Amino acid sequence: MQNKDINKYDASFTAGMMSFGSVITVMMITIMILIFGVWFLIAPKKEFSENENRQLALAPVYTFQSLKDGSYMTSIQKYLSDHFPIRDEFMTFKTKTEILTGKEEINDIYIAHDGYLIEAYSEPKQNGKIINQFGKLYQDITTDAKNNISLMLVPTAVTVYNDKLPAAAPDKGDLKQLATMDTIYEALPEIKRIDCYQGLLAQAQSEKGSDNVSSLYYHTDHHWTTFGAYIAYRQYCEAMGITPLEESSFTKTVVTNSFRGTVYSKLNDTTVPGEEITIYENPENRLTVNYQDSEEVTDSLYNKDYLSKKDKYSMFLNNLHPLIEITNETADSDKVMVLVKDSYANSIVPFLVNHYRKIYVFDTRYYRFGPASFINEHPEVTDVLILYNMNTIDTDLGIGGIF
Amino acid sequence: MVFSSIPFLFFFLPLCLILYYLVPFKVKNYVLLAFSLVFYAWGEPIYILLMLFETLSDYTLGRLMHKAGNNTGLRRLFLALSVIIDLSVLGFFKYADFLIESVNAAFGTAITPLGLGLPIGISFFTFQTMSYTIDLYKKEVAVEKNYFYYLTYVSMFPQLIAGPIVRFSTVNEELHDRKIDFEGFITGGTRFLKGLFKKVLLANTIGSLWEIIKASAFAGDSGISVASAWLGALCFTLQLYYDFSAYSDMAIGMGRMLGFHYLENFNYPLSSVSVTDFWRRWHISLSTWFRDYVYIPLGGNRKGTLMQLRNMFIVWFLTGLWHGAAWNFILWGVFYGVLLALEKHLWGDALKKLPKLLQHLYAMFIYVVGFIIFVFDDMSQLKHYLDIMFGLGGVPFVNANLLWYLRNNLLLLILGCVVAFPVYPWLKGRLAVWINKGTGLMRYKASAVALSVMLIAAYIGLFFLTTAYLVNDTYNPFLYFRF
Repeated sequence: MQNKDINKYDASFTAGMMSFGSVITVMMITIMILIFGVWFLIAPKKEFSENENRQLALAPVYTFQSLKDGSYMTSIQKYLSDHFPIRDEFMTFKTKTEILTGKEEINDIYIAHDGYLIEAYSEPKQNGKIINQFGKLYQDITTDAKNNISLMLVPTAVTVYNDKLPAAAPDKGDLKQLATMDTIYEALPEIKRIDCYQGLLAQAQSEKGSDNVSSLYYHTDHHWTTFGAYIAYRQYCEAMGITPLEESSFTKTVVTNSFRGTVYSKLNDTTVPGEEITIYENPENRLTVNYQDSEEVTDSLYNKDYLSKKDKYSMFLNNLHPLIEITNETADSDKVMVLVKDSYANSIVPFLVNHYRKIYVFDTRYYRFGPASFINEHPEVTDVLILYNMNTIDTDLGIGGIF
Repeated sequence: MVFSSIPFLFFFLPLCLILYYLVPFKVKNYVLLAFSLVFYAWGEPIYILLMLFETLSDYTLGRLMHKAGNNTGLRRLFLALSVIIDLSVLGFFKYADFLIESVNAAFGTAITPLGLGLPIGISFFTFQTMSYTIDLYKKEVAVEKNYFYYLTYVSMFPQLIAGPIVRFSTVNEELHDRKIDFEGFITGGTRFLKGLFKKVLLANTIGSLWEIIKASAFAGDSGISVASAWLGALCFTLQLYYDFSAYSDMAIGMGRMLGFHYLENFNYPLSSVSVTDFWRRWHISLSTWFRDYVYIPLGGNRKGTLMQLRNMFIVWFLTGLWHGAAWNFILWGVFYGVLLALEKHLWGDALKKLPKLLQHLYAMFIYVVGFIIFVFDDMSQLKHYLDIMFGLGGVPFVNANLLWYLRNNLLLLILGCVVAFPVYPWLKGRLAVWINKGTGLMRYKASAVALSVMLIAAYIGLFFLTTAYLVNDTYNPFLYFRF
């Protein structure tokens, strides 16, 4: 009898405890909702997210039209999620939880072996356009440089470091970039093919099992490292009959050890460690670097101001410029190069300057007049190199500006 | 505005509740109405007029019907007017283009479709407002004399755009007098949070796996296999269930916070043991609506087997059609109508004698295939996907992608399957028994306290995770918006 009473008493204690739990839960969450709401309203709004490297949404402007078509409401939604308090921490929390539950791919980024974060590859949708633009550049050139146009398509980490991808990943063992590269090369027989894949792959294979590994690609960024660019530079030299400089001729400097690149930003996992950026400088070079848009002239291929920012890769060639004129008085030839490129090439320029007295570097996303007419107006141009990486070539709007 | 979004969760809802709780009772319905109209206008700034028109017409006809007293002829006239107006509006906005395209296809004509967008939630609020005039005609509810109260009922934001289909009779009395208390806030809040977590953490995440698998089925390379296609179908089933039932959870929870008691809309439908059982558990407010306002008025099962079969066919044809203006929805409805009839008259009794596990598998097979019919409104895509599922697609049985999907989502899928069964109530019951079985008073109390602390921690952790997903804002559709 007594025992039964105890049980009854305790059943109600348990029930009471459970509903006490609900009260605490709902009240705490209510308070958090209110805190976040007020926090959002009073917190100063950033205009730019360094971490994501993009402009954040602006406070929407009310117009009757935007209300009527609903775009006003969409803008509010965007504005709220872009400026939500401790947004980055929330992103980290989400990524961490997903990795914990066994996710090996998040936001199209593979969590690969050896600490590499590698961008997945989706097959290009505008091969035709790319081929067309490169072909047009060739056709439009009327000077002797026409006979010396070469194309280097650089595979990204997803191809070169394919064996680091998690097992059964859709890109594992399926080197789609190589097929795309072949398609483009074969469609342009008049342009000299510079294949850096074999060199990069051989390097990657030789590193296997070795402790002292130099990375060819950054762990947290979509770019190749300076060393990766050096390997490709040797391939370029081989194809062009140039004698490449040995690695030992360069002074290597670790300029930062806290680089977290664009791939990192897609995950925003703040527990991923920062990594090194190493630059290779030839002390013999006498450089004049002329940024034609800002009319700034320096003697360095680097802008170290970027090292104190998030976007540290931009230190190479001072980020993006429509046209840069680089002169090296100590180059081993008088040849003049036009380089049409994306940001990958910024890492290879420090090697190329050793063999070209002058290099004109075009970023066609920003250069509006077409490199072909520039080349035709400058008959002293002897070589043209087109250099793109395989991941951005398809999405790069600048492709339309090559002709 | 969707419930699972930052504007709603952090601004709209708190602001609405604060104002609602602060004002005196007489004003509460007006606060609720104002917020509901803003809520609707957020997604449909123009078509809000349509809702105002429908409610005004039914409100007026209701008053007239009431005035007509015992004049059955007049009452019938007003009811007919109400039904015709409501169904015409629904028919025009939802089905006109479907009709035009079907006529074009059948007769080779070239009538230009009207290209009208479907007003959000029109299928839901039309059925709600119809329930009022029909019940009034049957003298089952009292007439509503305050137009704004009536509009509050139809437009109330928790259930306005994706159900449950709350009948006027359910909230009639509470519209005028209801208890708004702390207990309701806590119970409703807990229910709302459960729905929010289900929607964001299960429906959206499992849904994105379905999107990947679906895309691979049409990509033309070797990305799909038979087993992946089944996995995809299971994912869509789970997505739809969590999406829709989470919406109902949130609606019921918010209703409770506002002092309303809505009826349940789902009762673990994926744990059904037969098709009949499934439809007693899935979207209950819709199937009972059709039962009470179509099936029974048609005579139900009282006029012989043949008439019953006819009535079932009509009801299930309409149920299918209600879900969307496309042939696959009609096919889906008829698919269920036929299976229900067969279950009733052929194998229902035999089915009950099978082991429970086989009954579950039987029901599962049917609803998974059913939802594939449901999801493809393009018939050739539907055929393509079904071919793959049933081994006619010329694809391998398994492939590497299947392994990849499982490796990446195993925990999520297990969780998704487990939560779809009544495991949580069972576990809660077991735990209570277990705690009370312990020896020594202190020990029970300690375990009870430990348990509630764990519960609090789990909710708060899930709340942060949900917020993280909302801030990251990747994939957040609400499937039943289309209906």
